[in-house]
Amino acid sequence: MSQSIGRSCDELKKEYDACFNKWYSEKFLKGDLRPECEEIFKKYRDCVLNAVKNKNIDKLLVEARKDDPFSSVAEK
Amino acid sequence: MKLFETTHTFFYNWSHVSAANWCKYPNEKCPHVIAIDVLDRHVDPETGILRTERLITCQQNVPRLLSRLYGGNTVIYAREVSEIDPKNKVLRMTSCNLSMNNLINVSETVTYTEDPSDSSKTLFKQEARIKCGESISRFANYIEDFFVQRFRDNAAMGKQGFENVLDRLTGQGETLLLHKKV
Repeated sequence: MSQSIGRSCDELKKEYDACFNKWYSEKFLKGDLRPECEEIFKKYRDCVLNAVKNKNIDKLLVEARKDDPFSSVAEK
Repeated sequence: MKLFETTHTFFYNWSHVSAANWCKYPNEKCPHVIAIDVLDRHVDPETGILRTERLITCQQNVPRLLSRLYGGNTVIYAREVSEIDPKNKVLRMTSCNLSMNNLINVSETVTYTEDPSDSSKTLFKQEARIKCGESISRFANYIEDFFVQRFRDNAAMGKQGFENVLDRLTGQGETLLLHKKV
């Protein structure tokens, strides 16, 4: 598993990645689209967004999303 | 503006390749990718397409002119958005640098599709567009060439690294089943 931008998020990331990868292979690719791993994703994501803010990347992301046809992903 | 394009065929089925794509890093051939984070992810209930937004953190040398203008920092952030259509077996990722984007714009599109003539294989296509900003336009040729070469090197190493990941995952649980069955 790769590391997280926030060192304190590494453990959460590891747990989330493991959950997602299992879901992806065992559910998603077999046609079951119901989401799983939501709870751990929320914890991991909160940690990452905090690190992103501390490193001042949040503003760069906002700008990038404006020019991006896929921006709906980020705004949800 | 300069363009870079490459194609490759992986001798693994699309399901295996698309699952392994999430495990591509870290790999020993791509030490410049130091962190990857998921910022957002959801399945579109109408299309069944999985959309993911990720933040990629890289550390790699850039031309001195750029690193000077960027305060000597060599950590580069990029935003990647991917769409996976499991029905049509298409994985499409686009990425763009967030850092230094007033100096240079490097945007990349990668697709993995099932080989229409052989479902046990996956076709890979990578396109990059490199464009210098106005402020350094007189160095554009040099800098754009540098990044084209960088893409060429990283693409070659990335392919080798990904082959190793694909090979490693072939022996593991569920992906093994996918590899054999689909």
